[in-house]
This record gives sequence, structure tokens and C-alpha cells, in this order.
Amino acid sequence: MEKQAGAVGAADGAGPNRKPWSSATGGPATGETLDSPTGSHVEWCKQLIAATISSQISGSVPSDFTRDNKARRRPDFMVSKRLTPRQQDSQDEGLYYHGDSDSEHPSNALNLPALRYGAPVTMFQDQVPLLPGESVQTTVKDVMYICPFSGLVNGTLTITDYKLYFTSMERESPFVLDVNLGVISRLETISVPNQGENTKGLELVCKDMRSPRFAYKTEESHPDVVELLSKHAFPLSHSLPLFSFLYQEQFPVDGWKVYDPAAEYRRLGLPNESWAISKMNSSYELCDTYPSILVVPTHITEDDVRRVAVFRAKHRIPVLSWIHPETQATIVRCSQPLVGPSDRRCKEDERFLQIIMDANAQSHKLTIFDARQSSVAVTNKAKDGGYESESFYPNVELNFLEIPNIHVMRESLRKMKDVVYPTIDEAHWHSAIDQTHWLEYIRLLLAGAAKIADKLESGKTSVVVHCSDGWDRTAQLTSLAMLMLDSHYRTLRGFQVLVEKEWVSFGHKFAARVGHGDENHANSERSPLFVQFIDCVWQMTRQFPAAFEFNELFLITVLDHLYSCLFGTFLYSSEQERAAKEVQTNTVSLWSYINSQPEDFTNPFYVDYEHHVLCPLVSSRHLELWTAYYARWNPRMRPQVPVHQTLKELLFLRAELQRRVEELQRDATSRSSSSFSEHSPSHSAGTPLHSVV
Amino acid sequence: MFSVKPTKPTFKSYLPPVPTDVKKTIEPPLKKLEPKLLQGEIVVNEVNFVRKCISAESSQDDLWGKLICTNFKVSFIPSEASSKQNSHLSHLLLGEHDIPLACLEQVVTVNDTKGKKKVLGSNQKLKFNPTELILYCKDLRIIRFCFVEAGPESAKKVCLAIAHYSHPADLPLLFGFEYQGRRYHESKGQRVNGATPRGGLQTPIFDRPSDWDREIKRTGASEWRVCSINESYAISPSLPENIVVPVSLTDQDLKQHSIFFMNQRVPHWCWNHPNGSALVRMAGIGDPLQQRRIDQRVFPAITKSHPQRSEVIRSDVDKCLPNIQDIQSAFIKVRQICVIDPFEESEERWLSSIENTRWLEYVRAFLKHSAEMVYLLDGKNTSVILQEEEDRDLNCVVSSLVQLMLDPHYRSLIGFQSLVQKEWVMAGHRFLDRCNHLKKNDKDESPLFMLFLDCVWQMMNQYPAAFEFTEAYLTVLSDSMWIPLFSTFLFNSSKQRAQHLMDFAKNKAIPQGEDQVVYFPPVWEWSQQFSTKDQTLFNNPMYVGKGAACVQNGEVKTFRRTKKTYSSTLRGTPASLRNGLKAGGDSLTRRGSLLSELRPDFSLVKDESPSERFFRDWFSRPADLQGLLIPLLLPSHLALWKLYFLRWVPEACIAKGGPITAYHKLSQLVDEMEILQSQLRQYKGPSPGRTPRPSSSWSLSDQRRMYFKASSPHDPPSPPDFLTSSFPFTPMGNLCRRGGYGTPISKFLNGARIWLSTETLENDGL
Repeated sequence: MEKQAGAVGAADGAGPNRKPWSSATGGPATGETLDSPTGSHVEWCKQLIAATISSQISGSVPSDFTRDNKARRRPDFMVSKRLTPRQQDSQDEGLYYHGDSDSEHPSNALNLPALRYGAPVTMFQDQVPLLPGESVQTTVKDVMYICPFSGLVNGTLTITDYKLYFTSMERESPFVLDVNLGVISRLETISVPNQGENTKGLELVCKDMRSPRFAYKTEESHPDVVELLSKHAFPLSHSLPLFSFLYQEQFPVDGWKVYDPAAEYRRLGLPNESWAISKMNSSYELCDTYPSILVVPTHITEDDVRRVAVFRAKHRIPVLSWIHPETQATIVRCSQPLVGPSDRRCKEDERFLQIIMDANAQSHKLTIFDARQSSVAVTNKAKDGGYESESFYPNVELNFLEIPNIHVMRESLRKMKDVVYPTIDEAHWHSAIDQTHWLEYIRLLLAGAAKIADKLESGKTSVVVHCSDGWDRTAQLTSLAMLMLDSHYRTLRGFQVLVEKEWVSFGHKFAARVGHGDENHANSERSPLFVQFIDCVWQMTRQFPAAFEFNELFLITVLDHLYSCLFGTFLYSSEQERAAKEVQTNTVSLWSYINSQPEDFTNPFYVDYEHHVLCPLVSSRHLELWTAYYARWNPRMRPQVPVHQTLKELLFLRAELQRRVEELQRDATSRSSSSFSEHSPSHSAGTPLHSVV
Repeated sequence: MFSVKPTKPTFKSYLPPVPTDVKKTIEPPLKKLEPKLLQGEIVVNEVNFVRKCISAESSQDDLWGKLICTNFKVSFIPSEASSKQNSHLSHLLLGEHDIPLACLEQVVTVNDTKGKKKVLGSNQKLKFNPTELILYCKDLRIIRFCFVEAGPESAKKVCLAIAHYSHPADLPLLFGFEYQGRRYHESKGQRVNGATPRGGLQTPIFDRPSDWDREIKRTGASEWRVCSINESYAISPSLPENIVVPVSLTDQDLKQHSIFFMNQRVPHWCWNHPNGSALVRMAGIGDPLQQRRIDQRVFPAITKSHPQRSEVIRSDVDKCLPNIQDIQSAFIKVRQICVIDPFEESEERWLSSIENTRWLEYVRAFLKHSAEMVYLLDGKNTSVILQEEEDRDLNCVVSSLVQLMLDPHYRSLIGFQSLVQKEWVMAGHRFLDRCNHLKKNDKDESPLFMLFLDCVWQMMNQYPAAFEFTEAYLTVLSDSMWIPLFSTFLFNSSKQRAQHLMDFAKNKAIPQGEDQVVYFPPVWEWSQQFSTKDQTLFNNPMYVGKGAACVQNGEVKTFRRTKKTYSSTLRGTPASLRNGLKAGGDSLTRRGSLLSELRPDFSLVKDESPSERFFRDWFSRPADLQGLLIPLLLPSHLALWKLYFLRWVPEACIAKGGPITAYHKLSQLVDEMEILQSQLRQYKGPSPGRTPRPSSSWSLSDQRRMYFKASSPHDPPSPPDFLTSSFPFTPMGNLCRRGGYGTPISKFLNGARIWLSTETLENDGL
């Protein structure tokens, strides 16, 4: 009885596929469906308001209103309307989706007005929507999609240099499956029984928790599907460019301008008397995985910094990430010290930490948070790494956060995939989640970040955070702590800055962790660290529904384009590499797309918890599995109608009411000369909620 | 309900030892601490210099004061009024530190120095002077008092009194009988006879034929009639006096059939679908031969009452659902891990622990079975008979859930209350036994009503805008079960209620012919418990807000009887409202048939039953919140009801966060909308020709339905500090598990055999 089909996709659906200029992207198969139940409701509410209001006011107005209404809707609507077939079809398992669905959610047009710029979508043979710069590689007929939920679907498979696009017209409603090639982790041949000798089976194991399967006939006239897919899914392994370098979209906003390190440090009040903006790494000579601009203590010589660099793994010296505006306590990040089995010391490093401590007059202590398990930190000594000895660093307190390494996290998410896709074990759902330990690691991370935030906020003490290399767990912890401490990072723009700064610029190895365009799926460097971070952010948004300016759709979209290779944002592993590849000139930033339509990604509940430190409750009782992301490919896991949908409707109603009241007020004042000065349009200021409808 | 035989020790030490620096100079309060007593309430025993423990970790927040046992409650009066402003729900009849005796689950006395512990029952002796009293409450609170500075004898007396008075020997000894008698006479002057029938109560009680008649008309059940064969409970002791039966069944038939049914509970009607299908419930029939005979007589009568003469399907409810003992033990387990076990201990494998309690599994089973009944009624257009051996437990849950899913009327506040009245109170759910108010028979105790409320919460959680009321309302309703002042949860049947209330009226000199509802009101008279302002916490802004546009005469949209919006085949936006966006005629005819049209390629790989198809079909389209509502039923869709289960747990309380912050914003928004609306109305004015008068526009302020009012631009945007995930409740002082590191008790629990007193050992095993 839980054939709760039809609604695939994330809470809001991700991916820009609603927009003409980016129709087939990383977030395919997303949830128009979710908008729809309530979407129809918006329409219903509108009608109702129209009816109510028109019954209340004199005769001329209703027609007025109707005209108004139409006028407002028409242009946008036409655009959406044109796109509707593929919008609805882009649902994975879209066969559950009924053909007349668009008439039931006209809200698409209302909620998501199409932008009037951007290249028009080209349709290949009236079937396949193409992005600017995208080209069709091959079309194969009579391909069978093996749907894990409803069986075989016969249709046509089109492969472009960006996506795989499968359409079938044989069902009661057209079925479309749209998978961008970047998301594919590996291609596997599978056996397909009972389909004849020449039939081959293919499974696309994806990084985003699904594995669509196909069966196709091998005929000589057909090009080799596997070879073509592999070529374009793993372009780097075939000496081809990533699709981001071919993508020709023009956005009105330039996302590359979102992060300007100098401006961000200025916002934090830097430089100041203790901290200086250093250009020592401007040509990446000091540390090739650090950004060119660094913040280091004023009272230290360049020579000393170089000596410290030698003592720190990968030359990742302690640098400032964030400074508390009142106490001057700082979050400093670095890599492990190269202590080695013989307990080497480095006077400059010891002095460096002393200076960091001294830069904060409020506390005579410094806390080092080593993200690793203490046992691992000890073993690292044998490998020439290690941790700071409290006896060599006076007034330093060392804490291990006991977070397992990238391999453990990869394994955990792999288990999670088994739990959520394609079928779930109803009887043991909860214990199965427990057994993946995924939420346990989320709890460890949040707990670690909360400890860091608390040390700064309550303890007024500066902290140094590192793991082994300082680009995985360190990035997770510092960025989460900063999110708790600084409300700016909880805005849509601020969050982008946080990601650009703590993750992209400080050398989280996106290329290695995600494996963009690389066919070596078994590479042990791969690990979902960034996914884990976004999950932690989502958990925080669940506990504080009003504290974040962005919504769930934003988080899902970010994750979809972590893999898609449509945008350049997450490509490569360091600023140096990105500069060499001229990523900013040759590719589009994800933030260009996001910031061109911020209203889609805005949380309507958002109110600025100004200067309010968020303390998420780090308890299993409040951590949930993010099914809207992990389980979105299972149509039976249709997410629940989120409260914010209703809020959007109510905001719409309020706007409508306000409009009527103001109109009548104007009417009244113009009709009667007697002025009612006392009744200002009182509540137009109203409850501080985002009035994006 | 607390595990009488604990499978694992209740007290575990997980906290570092508490420094015993309690030797602070204690200033004995000199002022007299007076309890606030209700009419008819008397103090039984009291003790001074009692410390109420607030936190297990330290005693610095503890309160000093007087502990009092009355014939109604355990009351603690702190010597210093708390400085903090009371920002949570305040009860009109109970103080912040009061616990009704009926709410006590277990009274435990402890002597730390002697290492003794005893669970106290009625009329028991206590051979040691207690140093501590721990009260386990049915609403999941755990309250701890410390007697170190108190007079040992009076402390002991109070403990014994509490234990004794929380085990009333007989039903009329419950305080409600005293209180309502006094209240009736004292407030008599204020009542104007007949002006407001039933004291203004809008909820139908279903104790009169007219209530049933109205329900028959509302649901269009024209082939059903109100039958009064059970007048004076002549036929069945547990059915109400009026039941609804098929028109074609005569009183004589019913009388004949009745002898074969358990408790003579003949088939009686619950509800009618607009398509004519009826929901009927009945008790089991002992003899299988008789079962067939009865089926042959009763089924055709029900079929005859169906406009399409559609068949009848019987569902054996108790064959496919957990029984009351299963439910009871699941509840005990879930309570154990939520409030009793040390917090940190259950953190590790929380989800598995929840799964092991099976509580959510049972919630799901009831929702699922109800949804299947919905398919039969709505999708298959057949009438359904729910058969349960006694027809007084599981049937209550299933029939009310089915109606909640099918009929939006029951998702309004009044509708919901009438549903509880109809399917629980009048149908003879044995509230007295299931609540175990007299603590006589633990075997009969089962939180069935609580399970139902949890099921409702699950639906509410999935469709937040579909219900007029909030989860705070559901929680408060569950708490009311343990305040024995209202008639709703005190009796096993309407016969029992009638008898007791008759005696009561006689004893209290209440004039004959006076309405029961007036002299012994049901819980639905919320003004007895909460102020008007606090009652606004029951209103769901999402529901109210959407209604706002169409509520003009104070009437919220009710059950729409047009098939267009109602039937599953045509659900969604009515065609007339589609604004010509697309002519949907084609698809509508296609979707008209639910059972056929299984495309071969569908069925080849995956068999899909008609009901699966029905649900898939329903879920593939947007839900109409004013129509059929089916909950999502994968385990992932069900959640632990945190407000109910975790509201007292300080470690689980999110400061300035939780869903309440969203509720806060929505309420403000809706309040603002209501203001705008009143402005609109004023502009419209009585005569459209004249200039509108926007005079004192906040005249409606007293009718404003939101707890949180629209903010002014000067208010800080972030939510107020008192909003926590426990709001409108507070964990402060309401959940004090025992840390007790290094005490004899913990040593005992760790295996050290120092508990030598036989009394203690015996009772501990209890």
C-alpha cells in the first residue's frame, strides 16, 4: 500500500531544470512534485481571494482583478508552459506522473517566474533539450530502462557530452530520465535475462545514491554505448575537457565575484594590530594548496613563517580563519606538526602559537582541536606526523575530537546507499540507519564544531584546528563553527563566501574527493566530506528553521553541482590549479546561477538572528536522516509537505490582502477630502519575514 | 504503567559525583506557605523544609518549600516565588509545581543512608524514614523531593498520604466528584438558564438522538436511522442509548441478533462516505456458525443502505493489529528510553532503541490498516464493518482514524472533539480501566488513546496545514486524561457514566433534569483549564490562515459534499478553478477508473494490487487538504513525537529553536492577515456608497486567534528567548532523574549486595 509513487525528488527539487537556460542539469528528476500539492493550493488561494475580495467590493473591481491577475501571470506562464512537458518529464520514474499535471500546478509559473534572459533552450529533434554548448553524441533507439519500481520501459536514449537522456512515449504519460554524466561514478555491465542474446545490460552507479540500469540491443550499426558514455562521463581519463569548459550560458550575475578575500577579511576587521594580510603566498611558493592571500600574526618574520611551514604537513601553516569581533579570539587552521617518532620540536612553531595566543588579550590559553582519533594521531608520529605536545607548547590545551578518517566516511555513505536505494527494509529501517553510523559521524562533527564555537564564545579563547593535512575534517569543523558563530555566514551570500573561503580557497581536494571526470572509481582518495558538511548544515536548519536565509533546495542544488561538472566552482583541488586552468574565465560559477534567481533558494522564514550564536543541540534525538536528499530517487519516499510551502502561500495571501487594503485606502483618500491621518498603512512593515512569494 | 518489573535497573549512574557541599546555610522560611485550594479540596498532610530537585547534576537550582498532599493533588509551594516570568502554558486549576494524584504512576521512597527504597501503594507501611520521594507521573514527568532537612516523621506521613490518596478505593472518590458538585452550586448564580444550551459547548456529545440525526444528515446517510432499542441500556451495557442502524433492520431483528454479539454490541454505524459507503463497527461473535448466520442477515441490510447496493467487507481488526498488552509494553519501553534511561546512554543507538520499542511500528500498523479501510470505502466504494472481539479498543482507533482521513470536518477542532466523543467516549472505550485511574488492575491498563493521538500527530506532521488544531492541543488533551475533574476520561461506558452521575446528582442535591454536561462537564470545556489567551495555542496558523480568506461569517469551511472535490477520482483543483489552463477532460476520463488499466508492462515486472494502485494514484497527485488525506507510511515517514515524549527532557531541549520558531512566525503572519482583513471589512463598510471608517480598528483584538501577535517593526526579529523545542512546556524541574553516583543505590544496582532489608528487596522486585 505504500506505492507512493509519482513523487520523486527532493523536497523542493533541485537543479535548475525549470529554467530555460539550464534545463538539463545536475538536479534532474527533481520535485516539481513537491511544489505541486501546495502549488495548486496557491492557485486555489488566489482564486479564493479573488472571489472573496470581489464579493466584498463594488462591481468594477473584480474584472480589474482578473485582468491584473492574468497580466501578471501571462508572460512568465508562457515561458513555463513551453517548458512544461520536459519539466514534468524530467522526473526520474516520471511514469507516475500524469500528463495533466501542469494544469494542477500553475504555481510553477507563479512561484518561479522564468528569467527573461539566458539563451533559449534548443531542442534536439524536438526531444532533447540542450544547454548552450551541449552537443548530442548519439541517439540509440529501443533501449530499455530497467526501473526498480515499475519494471521495463522501452524508449530512446540520447547521449550528449553533458547528459544521458532517456525518453519513452509508450506509457500513459511520457517518461523521461535525465542523468548528468558528471554524477556517474562507474559503468557496469550487468546480465539481463530473458531479453535475447544480443541484449546487453548497463548499470550507471552514481555518486548521488542512485544506480539506473538499462538494457539495449547490440547491433553493429549502433555505436558502443558504454564507450561513448565512458568517454563523456570521464572526460579527463580520455583527454577531453570537462563539460564546464564547454558550457556557454550567460548569467546576469557573476558568481566569481562573490568571494573577495580582502573584502571578507575587511568585514572581520582585518588587518588589525595583531593580524596582517600576508602576500607571502601570492605565487603559491610557501604552500601550494593554500590561497594566495593569508592572514598571519603581525609579529612574526617571513623567515620564521618559512621555518614553520617546513614543520607543518604540506606546508600548511597556522593561518587565521575567523576572528571574534569582540574578544578577538580567533579560529586558526593548519595541518599536523611533523613531530615524528623522535618528538621533533620547532621553536618557531612554538612561538607562532604563542603569538596567536597573545593576540587575544582575553585569554592566556590556547586550545588545539585535533579532529583525529587520538590513537590515529599517535600512529601518525611513526609516519613523521603527530600532534603538539603540551609540554613543549605552554598554556596550550590539546583536545582530540575523535573523528574517523575519510575512508570510514566513504564506507558509511556506501552503506547508506544500500539502505535507501533502490528498496528499503521496512522492518529494520531505523536500525539499518544506525548501522551505517552516518548520523553518529554527523553528531561527532557537530559536537566538535560546537565545542570550538563554545571555546571562542564562552571561553573567549583562541583555537587552532587541524587534522592530518588540514583540508578535510579541518574544513568541516572550521566552517561549521563559523556558521554557528557568525550570522553573516547564515545568509545566502555569506554561505557562498564560507564555502569559497574555507573549502575552495583553502584547498579541500574537491577533484580527488569527488573524482570529477575521472574513471578511477575505486580511488581511495574519494570521500563524501563535503556532502557530510552540507548534511550538518541541513541538520542545523532543521533545529533553527528561522536562522538561515537559504533553504533546502539550495543545499541540494549545491550538492548536485558538486558532481555535475556544469559549473567550475568545485573543480580542481587548489587555488593554484584553478588559476592555471583559468577556471574563472573559462567556466561559469555555480553562484552565478544561484544568485540570478535567489528567490528560489531563499528560506521564507528567515529572520536575522543578528549576533546570535547558534548552539545546535548535538543529540541523536534531534538528528535525522536527510531523506529529501539521500532517498529522493525512491518514489515511495515522497517527502512530506514542508511547512515553508504553506508559509509561502500565506505570504502570498498577505501580500494580496495588503494590496487590497492599500488600494482601498488610496481610493478612500482620493474620494473624500477628509484625510485619515491616523491610519497609516500600518502593517506593511509587518512581521519580519522574507516576502518572496 | 512504569515497568512494574523493570527489565533493567531504573537508576544508572553516568554523571560525575556530585560534590556534597549542600551544607550551605539554609534559611528556614518563616512566612506561611499556603496552598491554593479548589472548591472542596482539603489538605491531608504536609511537610516543611522540603527541597525540590531541579537538576540531577547539582543542587544549586533546587527549590525549598513545603510539600502538601491534598485530596486532589501533590502540591509544592516554594518559599521564594520564582523570579522568572512564567512564559509557558499556565493551568487554571494546577500550579507550576502541582501534580494531580490521578497523574501519579508510581510513588517511590528512598532512604539513601540506609540504602533502602520502596514503591508505595495504598495503605502500606514504611519501615524507614524517607530521605527522598520520587514521583513518576503518567504524563512522563519525574519529580524528586528531598527530605534531608525536613521532619522525618512528617515526611514519612506525607509520602504515605500521597501513596494512599493516589489509589482511590472507588470511582466516586476521585476528586472530580467533590469538585464539580461544589462548582455547580457555587457558580449557579452566574448561569442563565437555557440561554446557552450546554453551557455554550459547541462539541456534540452524542448522548441525544439529535446529535446522531445531525451527523446522519451531515454525511448524507439517508438509509440509516437512529434506533433507541438500547434505551436504559436494555440490550447492551456498553453501547450508548442511541445507535444508528440500517433502515431495513427492525428493532426486533436487532434484539434477536444482539444475543450473539459479545456484550450485545450489535453492528452500529459510524460514518457515511458521500458515495454511500458506510463505516460500521461491531463486536465479535463467539460461535462461528452464528457468525455466518448473522453475516447473512446483517450484511444484506447494510448493502441495502448503500445507494449502489455495493457489497460489504468485514475487517477483523484484532486479527491484524497489536493487542492492548503489546501496545502497553511498547509504550513502557519508549518511555523508558525517552525519560528514564540516562540521556547519554541512549544516544549511541537511538534509532535502534526506538525501533526496538516497536511503538512506531504499532503507530504505523494502525495508520496502515486504517488507510486500507479508506481504500475500501473510497476506492472500492464498499461499506466496511470493523469487527473486534469487544469493539471497545482497537475499533476506536481504527474507526476514528478512517474518519479523520476521509472527512475534513473531523480535522477541525470541534469536529475532532466530536469524533473522540462519538468513537471513544460514547462507543464505550473503557477509559477508567485503560487509564487505570483506580490502580486496581494493571493488566487492563493500555495507552490506546495515546496511541491514537500519536497517529493523529503523524498525520499532522505530514500535512501541517490540514488540521485546525496543533500538537500542543493534542499534548494538552493527553495530559487532561490525568486530571480527574472532567467526565470524558473517567468512565468505561455511557451506562457507567449515567449511573455515577445520577448518584452524584442525588448526593449533591443537583436538581433533576439538569444537564450532565453542565454539572459534570467534559474536557471539551477548555475554559475550565485554560485562559482564552492560552487556548489560542490550540489554533494552527496554517489552517486558520488559509481559512482566513474565506472565513467571513466565523464559519470555517466544512465538509464539502460535492463529489468533485471529494472523490478520489476527481481530486485536486476543481475544473472550474483551473482557469482554463488546460482542458483536462482527457486525463480525467482516463483516471476515472481505478481498478482496471493495469498496463501489461507494469504488471509483468511488478504485481500491483488494486489498493496499491489506488494509493499510488492518490500520491501521484497533489493532496487536497479539504479532501481525502492518506498518510505516508514508510518507516521513514513516521517520526517520534518529540513534543510529547521529550518535552520534559532538559538535555533534549533546543533553546531558541525547534518547530515552534516556525509556528511563531506563522502565527504572527496570520495575525497580521486577520488585522488586514478587518481593515478590509471596515473599508467595505455597511453601505458601499459611503466613505469607509477605519476607526478603532483593533476592536477585533479580543477575537484574534493567534497566540503570537503580529510584531511591530520595533520588535527584535529573532524569536523570543522563551521559545524552546519544549514550548509551551518547560523541562525545568519536571524531569529529575536520579544521578546518585556513589550512593548505596548505585552500588546495589552495580551488583553490590548491601541491601539487606527484606522489605526493600521484596519491594524492589515489585
